[in-house]
Amino acid sequence: MFTRDEAQKLAKKIIGFASFPECQVSISASEQAYTRFANNGITTASLSLRHNVSIMVSKQGQSGVATVNDLDDASLSAAVKKAEELAATAPLNPELMPPLGPQEYPETMDFDERTSVARAPEMIPHVKKIIDAAMKQKLVAAGLVERSLRVDAVANKAGLFGFHKASDSQLTTTIRAADGSSSGWAGQPSKRFSEIDSAMLAARAIEKCVRWKNPKKLDPGNYTVVLEPTATGDLVRLMAGAFSARDTEEGRTFLSRRGGGTLLGEKLFPEFVTLRTDPFDSRQPALPWTDELLPTQPMVWLDKGVIANLDYDRYWAAKTSKQPTPSAGPGGRGGGRGRGGATLGGGGSSLIMEGGNATLDDLIGSVDRGLLITHFWYIRGVNPQTLQLTGLTRDGLFLIENGKITQPVMNFRFLESPVRLLKNAKRVGSAIRVRGLEGGMMIAPALLATDFPLPSISDAI
Amino acid sequence: MDNAPDGYIALPSDHGGYAVLRSIVRSGSDAALPRPSPVQGDDDDQFWIAVKYNGLRMLTRRSFLATSAAFAADLFAAPNDSKTPSAELEKLGAVALNEAKKHKATYCDVRIVRLRDQRVSLRLSPERGTGKTLAVPGVVESSSFGFGVRVIVNGAWGFAASPLVTPAEIARVTGEAVIIAKANATIQPQPVKLAPVKAYRDRWVTPHDKDPFAVPMAEKLDLLRRVTAEVKKNAKVFSGSAALNLRSEDKYFASSEGSSIQQLILQIYGNADATAVDRENNIARTRNYVPTQASAGWEYVPEMNLEENAQRIREEVLEHLSAPAIKAGMKDLLLMPSHLMLTIHESVGHPTELDRSLGYEANYAGTSYIARETIGKRIASQHCTFIGDRTSPRGLATTGYDDDGVKATQFTVIDKGIFRNFQTTRDQAHLVGDKESHGCSQADSWASVPFQRMPNVSLNAGPRDTTLDSLIAGIDDGVLIDGRGSYSIDQQRYNFQFGGDAFWEIKGGKKRGMISRVSYQARTPDFWQACDGVAGPSYWRQYGTTGDAKGEPTQINSISHGCSPARFRQINVLLTD
Repeated sequence: MFTRDEAQKLAKKIIGFASFPECQVSISASEQAYTRFANNGITTASLSLRHNVSIMVSKQGQSGVATVNDLDDASLSAAVKKAEELAATAPLNPELMPPLGPQEYPETMDFDERTSVARAPEMIPHVKKIIDAAMKQKLVAAGLVERSLRVDAVANKAGLFGFHKASDSQLTTTIRAADGSSSGWAGQPSKRFSEIDSAMLAARAIEKCVRWKNPKKLDPGNYTVVLEPTATGDLVRLMAGAFSARDTEEGRTFLSRRGGGTLLGEKLFPEFVTLRTDPFDSRQPALPWTDELLPTQPMVWLDKGVIANLDYDRYWAAKTSKQPTPSAGPGGRGGGRGRGGATLGGGGSSLIMEGGNATLDDLIGSVDRGLLITHFWYIRGVNPQTLQLTGLTRDGLFLIENGKITQPVMNFRFLESPVRLLKNAKRVGSAIRVRGLEGGMMIAPALLATDFPLPSISDAI
Repeated sequence: MDNAPDGYIALPSDHGGYAVLRSIVRSGSDAALPRPSPVQGDDDDQFWIAVKYNGLRMLTRRSFLATSAAFAADLFAAPNDSKTPSAELEKLGAVALNEAKKHKATYCDVRIVRLRDQRVSLRLSPERGTGKTLAVPGVVESSSFGFGVRVIVNGAWGFAASPLVTPAEIARVTGEAVIIAKANATIQPQPVKLAPVKAYRDRWVTPHDKDPFAVPMAEKLDLLRRVTAEVKKNAKVFSGSAALNLRSEDKYFASSEGSSIQQLILQIYGNADATAVDRENNIARTRNYVPTQASAGWEYVPEMNLEENAQRIREEVLEHLSAPAIKAGMKDLLLMPSHLMLTIHESVGHPTELDRSLGYEANYAGTSYIARETIGKRIASQHCTFIGDRTSPRGLATTGYDDDGVKATQFTVIDKGIFRNFQTTRDQAHLVGDKESHGCSQADSWASVPFQRMPNVSLNAGPRDTTLDSLIAGIDDGVLIDGRGSYSIDQQRYNFQFGGDAFWEIKGGKKRGMISRVSYQARTPDFWQACDGVAGPSYWRQYGTTGDAKGEPTQINSISHGCSPARFRQINVLLTD
């Protein structure tokens, strides 16, 4: 791993190779350790190191990017040359903004030593605990325990430099009946590996698996639903990109106003719905700079139901005489990445949906007839403008009657937009950090909403 | 340089210094290198080499150890007619194998991989305020070089990887993989069992005429300029964009089974997109053209016909914007290969992965509705024969050998609707009583673990006399679907819902005008049994997907799914937003 000084020296050297007047360098290094288990045994485990240098050069609006993972002088100098060759032949980019000068990046406390070095001796006891608990009840455990350590540095020829070190971890487990007739899931992302509670996760996943056995068929239709925090995060996270000022003004998001303009300032959701980003929230690691290298700050996007801000990149801000938004933007890194390569890492997430004081039991207790949903799977966009999504329930779906969980229910496909979901929301529970099955992360509360469309049944366990 | 400790020679970490080091290593000096540790007081720009008695010891700042791009290029270079891997690669591979043997591993393999990606893109969209058309380019090239080692010790797998391709690091990382395997063995209900494999010493290259990376950027950008200009010709089209992607993978594989295999695998693909916006009604629609993706060189680009299709998508995006909405209900579907490809991928390719069926992907991608007991049972109509194939010319998953060292093969997945074979790797084959693997092992990078991935999975063409028109003529009330749209399927591959890129009404046996807001939802075994016609060989096209995700941590893979247009009866068609 690079120290701050090593990264700065390396960046300076690379920038020194550039003959172009503008050069920006991003350096990242990561170390990832994980143990994966299934069918009550460890299947694969790995330690992998990656590092990566991305070099962008530009001159009078022409730019090119080359990325390498070789760190010797010859390779880096060749990469700079390659970026310059690409830039020289590229057409002028009219949306390219001039480089920023030196920036003051705020301190984030995203590094935990113990997490950054956790290996098999720390991970395997968690795996054993879960497998032992499953086997005791003749069930089958699968899951993943993982930690990552990541260093990012950015620098440019105009004197900008930033450095960020972060560690993160997670444990997820799926417990299934040996005959494939039931499944339960629990997961916990945590900045501190020491806080991973495998006993709690095992107990929760096992309870869901045991209680969900022999799910009953219910008719498709619109239902009142109680979403556990992970399920809320699965859907709400996907609203983030719609706050782009540009896309909205160009008529392509749910915040676009019919005929022109935007819905900024309009109250679209209940009072208790607040969506914000905070790169300094201690629960989630996040970069202290935006995609465009501006220093981040907390931002509120949806404030007590009102559309409070749109996300302006530097180009669009210049075009509209506004200030660029000093946030990772809810739709940038703010929504949390997870696909490809490391399951953790990337810029992390800084997206938060505010919770309330109610517990999950409070929410369940207030429902006459509805469904309790653990989380969702295979969520994909159907209409990018209205944000209509489709996906499936998974790993525990339960009928609530008169405030109590009465029976397990067969999975459904849903077809709904998080915009409509929030409009139909009635109450929220307290918010925790969550991670979806496909890697997206945020802080989200349990949510009670009416009229959630579940138009077809899935046979899947 | 003056600060080298006693017994050490300091060399600069530039190309010259590394060349000296390489020549020392090549000369056969003892390369039994200890774990590197920082040397006090060393300069960031230098590393130290210690020459001691009868051996060579290297102490370096690990993060500054030289691994040059030039070195990578040298390493994988070989004369075009060469049938064996480069000697340098074999020497490096041997370090891992020897180290693993020392640690009593019962199996070891090493992959040294260089990945290269180039993406060129261009977007035309109106400038805010002036309406002037701006052209926004994107030119990115990336490369990655490193190695990964797998071992089996005490019946369990271990894996470790590093970006520093040197004998010292290979030995060290092999040791790490052994430590991991030993730890894994403590919770291992069954020891890993590998199906036999022959030993090969070979070199394989994706057949191609012209190295796509050698083509000047200007030529690529000119093509995209012409394509996007054609798309954006009508001012009513809000934006037009086009992109070209090139990928290459140089891969060296060596195993304790005696194999030494060097491969070069190329991929090339592109797209053209149009977007239209109706501000009055708050609607936005897209239309894209995606030619078949291919494992090929630059000679493939003219066949992509990007320019030739630009006008069509310009016209169709505007038609799509004002196309009437579908009336939902049970309808017949005519699915074109550009669309059906993905349905095959999701509902045939994935559920026939053996590891998925047996619960090894339960925590993420899920399991399967297909079990071992399903072998010999009907899961599709008699019109449906699917082949798993890593030999198909230009297929995205086509290769010489998989990442277990198994020679690329072809096998029947479903034969006239009867399920026959799962996709397997060496460590899975015995679980279905097979003597050999079907060659489906793959890792997406040197840094990731090889595991079972889909080969190309294709639907055989129908009879020669089954034309597209004849299939359409047999539909009274239906929809023709082209291209990809939304796609979602449950964790056992039963319930799926797919959209598309463009839709046409079929009424009274004829294709009519475009319609909009279409998705269809079905249950997989019912869907494939509703297939009552597949067009003939002249309609067969090999489209693919370049972003298939599986595994934890997630790995991405590229696969082709060849098919002809096919007809499906009485499927639930939905009205979406």
